[in-house]
Amino acid sequence: MTNNAVAAVADRYRQPMTLGNAVLDIHPIAMVAGITALIVVGLASAGWIVPLAVSALFVGIAYLAGRGPSYLVTILKLWIAVGLILFALRALLVKGETVLVPLGPIAITREGIENGLRFTTAVMVICGGVTLFFAIVSMRRLMLALERIGVSPRVSYVILASFQAITDLGATARVVLDAQKARGIETEGNVFVRARAFFPVLAPVFLTAMTATEERAIALDARAFNNPGRHTSLLNLKPLTAVDTVLVVLSLVVAAAAVTGGILGWF
Amino acid sequence: MASSRFATFMRGYGRLTIFMIPIGIAINFVGGQIALLLKLPVYLDSIGTILVGATCGGLPGALVGLISNGINSITSPPTFAFAILNVAFGLLAGYFGRIGVFRTWWKTLLSVLPFAFIGGFCGALITIWVFDGLAVGGGAIVVGALTAMGMDLNTANFAAQLPMDVLDKVPTVLIVYAIIKGIPKRLLVKLPLGRVYLGQPNPRAKKPVATTATQP
Amino acid sequence: MVLAALTGVGFTYAYAEQPALVGIDLQLEEGRLHGVVGLNSSGKTTLCSLIRGVIPHFHHGDLTGEVVILGRPLLDWDPAELSRTIGCVFDNPFTQISGIRETVFEEIAIGLENLGVPRDEMIERVESVVEQLGIEAIVEKNPNELSGGQRQKVAFASIIAMDAPVVVIDEPTSQLDPEASEAVFEIIEGLKHRGKSIVLAEHKIDLLAQYADTITVMNEGTVVMHGPTRDVVGSDEFGAYGVVPPEVTELGRRLAAAGKPLDRLPIKRAEAFDEISVRIGRSTHAH
Repeated sequence: MTNNAVAAVADRYRQPMTLGNAVLDIHPIAMVAGITALIVVGLASAGWIVPLAVSALFVGIAYLAGRGPSYLVTILKLWIAVGLILFALRALLVKGETVLVPLGPIAITREGIENGLRFTTAVMVICGGVTLFFAIVSMRRLMLALERIGVSPRVSYVILASFQAITDLGATARVVLDAQKARGIETEGNVFVRARAFFPVLAPVFLTAMTATEERAIALDARAFNNPGRHTSLLNLKPLTAVDTVLVVLSLVVAAAAVTGGILGWF
Repeated sequence: MASSRFATFMRGYGRLTIFMIPIGIAINFVGGQIALLLKLPVYLDSIGTILVGATCGGLPGALVGLISNGINSITSPPTFAFAILNVAFGLLAGYFGRIGVFRTWWKTLLSVLPFAFIGGFCGALITIWVFDGLAVGGGAIVVGALTAMGMDLNTANFAAQLPMDVLDKVPTVLIVYAIIKGIPKRLLVKLPLGRVYLGQPNPRAKKPVATTATQP
Repeated sequence: MVLAALTGVGFTYAYAEQPALVGIDLQLEEGRLHGVVGLNSSGKTTLCSLIRGVIPHFHHGDLTGEVVILGRPLLDWDPAELSRTIGCVFDNPFTQISGIRETVFEEIAIGLENLGVPRDEMIERVESVVEQLGIEAIVEKNPNELSGGQRQKVAFASIIAMDAPVVVIDEPTSQLDPEASEAVFEIIEGLKHRGKSIVLAEHKIDLLAQYADTITVMNEGTVVMHGPTRDVVGSDEFGAYGVVPPEVTELGRRLAAAGKPLDRLPIKRAEAFDEISVRIGRSTHAH
């Protein structure tokens, strides 16, 4: 890479951060407001159609943000692993008057199905909103926004370092596990055999990770991590724009209306 | 003078805890992943919480638990309802660490009971309160089956979750005990609860003070 | 001014059986490259930690004697100020990457962010360090996916960007291959040319003889030799503490023992080349 290319990279850091997509560029705090408002709308409704509609809306937003396919995969998995079981258990176990399908000692009732639909869609609208938020706001951007409003860079460190530590430690553990297999330590077989493989793999890996914190502390101290003064940031996160502000206000209005509507039984 | 100097040191250094928290979180995840990989019938996803609680204190341990569940709920939001359990594991581990439970293997093994009580009993309570007794997870199918056999829904939750948690916490606390045994002294002295495991009082526990004494 | 003045210094790590440093008297001048050599656990790292203030602020223990850093007693320094004044790089390339930044460019900027340097100045400084170290090709890479040698260069870049007047470097090449080691030494030479004071613990004596102004030899926690590089490395006593002299010095000695001594004992490769070229009657500029 030439020096011109480095200059181009440097220039990019001078400009406000953009991800080249209007949805992705929404300020993380405005995004929290927007998604929370939509979740509130879903929960305020007494039925299951509104939360289902909001869940569909989340998918639409993910597509607008260019993260559609991966979001859809995540959310479908959740519907199958969580939604379906929640619904099935309720449909089977909640007692009701109107028996639709008798199944020996239990029975599927209309009340069970209604209860199941209502509860499942409510849980899933929360799941959909939370997963949507993290699908379109990177942890780095979120922490940057939080630092802006006064959250300590130490909090940022703990959160961001956790993700990296999970990646690094996971990779090390798998390497050690494979090495154990190669050395003939059983990782298959009955449960006791497999359980015995767990200790020699993990104890040393975890211990090494703990010991490495000493050097990490020294290295970060050398990078002025403990400097008491104000920290600055290389990444130039745009402050709340007019669009972001409108979004926040709109979210508050919508959420308030939904709560009022829910209490008054509008929907 | 000496105390203000000490305060300065604390501001600058002595903060290994902040670097231990991400490691504790990673240990929770990797423990859980490897347990899945080895197809073990236990979660093993609170090793980091208890380890950090036992060595750094209750609050850091609780933070490890809270953030672990927070990160898990990015892809599986219902997990967050159970964050309070992981927080309680951390706080309890901090208390147990302080009173020296993890110094002997049999006391460590006894700590399974309170941990499993929190995990199983309180876990069942949360399932009942938040999810009306019908949460998802490893135990849900068992709960469903027990109820189908005519057991009361609440009883089914306790009956399913308590034994599972005992089974989970035995290897968890044992690995915590093994790891603490292996922590080198130079690291232990820098951890808030390290002195508990160093056994003898520190012969050189003085605050750093330069003297002009000549070497013998 | 004097970079570090140690008088009768001893240090024992908390809970350690043996002292790590015993009766050290040492004076290191500013603006020089000071090499520290010695076997493993001879006290090199402990000495580096002491000058950096990591001892006793981070590694607790029993410190005796007097340590004065840049004219101020060690314990009168605010630890944060001391770590701003004295940069440090050590052996492990993996623990020196923060793990919280997504590109090398951002990783290099991290110290400047913590110092509160304004964005435009920060970008300029990072750009200039990238150019100095010739790491243009990796600026957009994820620092957590680099090789050990590349990580070590990034670690140097982060510290150099902060522009501390003093840099303590502890075995920077012990986990690197020969090529990456050469590159690291070139970085260190560049620092020296820009007038930085450097303390460098290192076991690759050939490279150290090439670049260091003074050499301190440590053995069992004490300073056994200290002086200008030529005097120390060329001395007969040098090999007595388990440190292997540079290959070319060894060659000079063997020739002397065989009754064919060179005009002067070489400690650098270039010197040996010159001497031997003269000996075999051929100009060094012939090719």
